[in-house]
Amino acid sequence: MSQTIALPKKANRLRTASLNNKLVNDYWTEVFEAPKVGRKVCWYEGVAINPLMQAADVAWVHGEAWSALLAARNNEEPAQQASENRGYLKDLCSYARTHIGCGVMAQNKGEASGASFSDALGANALADNVPAPDMFISAYPYCSTGQQWDEMLYRLFKKKVPIFNISVPWVWGNKPDSVYLGGSEFREAVEYMKRQLRECVKFIEAQTGKPYDWDKLHEIMHYTKQAGQLRMEAMEMCATKPAPASFFDWTTSLAPVNFVPGGPAIVDYFEKVKLEIAERIANGEGTVPKERYRLFWDGIMNWNKIGWLANKFASYDAAMVAGRYTHMGFWHEHECIDANDPLEGMAINYLVCPINLSAPLMIEQIIKLCKFYEIDGVVLHAARTCRAFSNPQYMIAEAVARRLNLPVAMIEGDMVDESFYKDEVVSSRIEAMLEAIESRKRAGIAA
Amino acid sequence: MKAYVMGIDFGSTTAKTVILDRKGKMVAWSVGQKGSVSDAGVRESMANAFEKAGITQADIARTVSTGYGRRMIDVADQSYTEITCHARGAVHMCPEARLVIDIGGQDSKVIAVDANGLVSQFAMNDRCAAGTGKFLETLARAVEVPIEEMGPLALTANEALKISSMCATFAETEVIGLLAEGKQKPEVLGAVHASIAQRTIGLVARVGKRSPVIMTGGVAKNAAAVHHIAKALEVELIIPDFPQIAGALGAALFALDEVTGQVDAPKTDEDDLVDEEAMSNSRGCATKPCQNSPKEQPLLGPF
Repeated sequence: MSQTIALPKKANRLRTASLNNKLVNDYWTEVFEAPKVGRKVCWYEGVAINPLMQAADVAWVHGEAWSALLAARNNEEPAQQASENRGYLKDLCSYARTHIGCGVMAQNKGEASGASFSDALGANALADNVPAPDMFISAYPYCSTGQQWDEMLYRLFKKKVPIFNISVPWVWGNKPDSVYLGGSEFREAVEYMKRQLRECVKFIEAQTGKPYDWDKLHEIMHYTKQAGQLRMEAMEMCATKPAPASFFDWTTSLAPVNFVPGGPAIVDYFEKVKLEIAERIANGEGTVPKERYRLFWDGIMNWNKIGWLANKFASYDAAMVAGRYTHMGFWHEHECIDANDPLEGMAINYLVCPINLSAPLMIEQIIKLCKFYEIDGVVLHAARTCRAFSNPQYMIAEAVARRLNLPVAMIEGDMVDESFYKDEVVSSRIEAMLEAIESRKRAGIAA
Repeated sequence: MKAYVMGIDFGSTTAKTVILDRKGKMVAWSVGQKGSVSDAGVRESMANAFEKAGITQADIARTVSTGYGRRMIDVADQSYTEITCHARGAVHMCPEARLVIDIGGQDSKVIAVDANGLVSQFAMNDRCAAGTGKFLETLARAVEVPIEEMGPLALTANEALKISSMCATFAETEVIGLLAEGKQKPEVLGAVHASIAQRTIGLVARVGKRSPVIMTGGVAKNAAAVHHIAKALEVELIIPDFPQIAGALGAALFALDEVTGQVDAPKTDEDDLVDEEAMSNSRGCATKPCQNSPKEQPLLGPF
C-alpha cells in the first residue's frame, strides 16, 4: 500500500520553461502594441489558425490563451464576475465566461470596437493593454459553446466587428473505410476545411486591404512543422524510466505551438527542451524525485493549478507522463504538413485535435499512448464547464479498464474557474487509484 | 506485547472504531456521532470501543485510519482511502462479493473487486450530496419524518412518484411541491428512495455491473433504500449485520496485516498466522451472522 507522505516532494520542472515565459511575454507585448503600429487585431477561439493571421501581419488574441493567462496569474475573477453579472451562468464554459467578461468590462468602460481595454481590468497591467478586435474568426471544433462564444462576442461588440466562421466537421470515423487520418469521410472533411481556409484568407485580405502573403505562410508553417516535430520527439523520449518530463511540463510548453508566432524562436525553444530531456535521460533525472507510478491525464488542463498539481503528483511519486490534451493535439501530426502547400496539413491537424475525434478513434489513440508510455493508471479530469472534453470520458475509462486492465480515477475541476475544485475530493480519488495500483503490484498483477 | 490493532473510519457524519485482537477477532466496535467530521465523534467512538474491549490506547499495536478525516487522527500510524478500506472490510464480511455499494453520510461509492479481493475499479458521487445519507437527512426534514422512520414508511407507498436524482436542493424543492399537490408522505418518500437508487445505478454502470453485490454504509440499514437499489439493479443485495463499520473494519485489517507482516501473503511462521476461525468472527455477513458482534449495542442513525 502507499505510504503516508511525511514531507512534501516537489516536481522537477523543466528549466527551459523560463524560455517559454519569455516567448509568451514577447508575444503579448506585440499584441498590446499592435494598434499603435497600425496592425489589425483578430480575436479567435479554438484551433491554432494564427498562422493565417500572422502571414497577413494581423495580431491575434486567442480567447482560451488569454483566459488561461489570466487564470495562471490569478487575474480571472473580475472578468468572470463581469460575465456573470451580465447574465452568463456559471455553468457556461469558463474560458468563454472569462473572455466574454473582458468584452463586457470593455463595453462598461464605453470602449467599443477598435478601442483598447485600457483600465477595463483595473490595475492589472497585463490586461490593461489587450486591444479590442477588428475582426473575429471562429474555428471551433466539436464544442458548440465555442462557436456560440464568437457569436456572443460579435453581438457584444454591437455587430460592428466583421466575423468569419470556419465550420470544423466532427470526425465520426464510422464509415467502412474509416481509419485514423484516412478514409473517404476524412478526405472529404479535409477538402472541406481547405476550401474554408482559402475563403478565410480572402476574408483576411478584405480586412487588411492587402494581397495575402502566401510565401510568408509557407515560411511560418516551415517553422511550425519543425517545432511540432521537435515537441513530439521530446515527448516520446519521456517513454524512458524515470520520465524526464511530465504532462504538466508539456502543458506549460503549449504556447509555442498554440499561439506564439511561428518562427525560429519556437524551433529554438523545442530544440532546447529536447536537449534538456536528453540530458535528463543521460543523468537518470526524473520529473518526480522518485518515480513509482506512471500516469496518463485525460482531459483539459486546470490552469489555476498547474504547479500545484505537478507537486501534488510528485508527492505521490507519480509521474504524469502523457495526456490527451498535450499528446493528441497542437501540430502533433506534423508529418502531414507540407510547408510549400500548407493548407492540407493545417486542415488535418485542426480536424484531429483532442476533442474532435469520435470515441472509437480517440480511444485507440489513447490506448496506443498508454501502451507506449507504459502507464499504470489513468486520471480523468472532468472539467465542470467543458463538456466537449468530458463527454467521452466514461467510455475512455471503461475502455482502458477493460482493454488494458488499468485503474482509473475521475476527478472534477475546471479550466479556469477554481471554485469547481475541491482538494480533499480530488485527493481521495487519486490516492484510492494509487492504492489500487500498489495492491496489484504487490500481488504481482500486471496491468 | 500489545495485543490489539485498531481501525478508525473518520467519516463525514460519524466516526467508527473497530478493535481486533492479533488473531483477527473483533473485540469491540463503536459508532460516534457528534456532527460533521467531528473530533469529538472520533474520541467518543474510540473511548466506547476501548471501554467495551476493556483495554486502553496503550494496548493498541497499530492503528490505521480512513475516511474524510483520516489525516486528522493523531494516533493513526497509517491511513488509506475509504475506497480501499471499505472494499477490504466488505470483502472480509462477504468474501464472495464482487461489487461493493457503500452509501455513507456525504458520499456514495461503488467499488468493483476482483477475485483477489483487490479494488479493480471504483466510482464516487460528485460534489453534490444527491444519493447519499445527507440527501436522506435533508429530505427527512422536508417531509417532517424522523429519519429512522423514513424507510419503513416509504415501503408502504402505493404509488410510484419521481423526483430528481441530480441535485439535493432541487429534490427538496420537488418534494415540497409534491406535498403541496397533496401527495402522501409514503409516496413522496418512496420517490426519495427511488432517486437514491437511480443515482446508485449510475455509479454501478461506470464500474460495470457484477455480482454478488454487498451494500455497506449507514444507508444499508434503510430497508427502502435497499429495496429500491436491489429493484433497480435486478439483483439481491447482501447486507452485513453492521454495514456502517465496513471501512473501520477494513482499516483494522490493514493494521493487522502490518503488525503480522502479512501485507499481501501469509508468512510461514505459524505464530504470525491469522487464526481463520477467529477471523471469521469479525465477518458480519447476514448470510453468516457475526458470532462475536455485540448485539446489545444500539443501532445508531443510518449513517
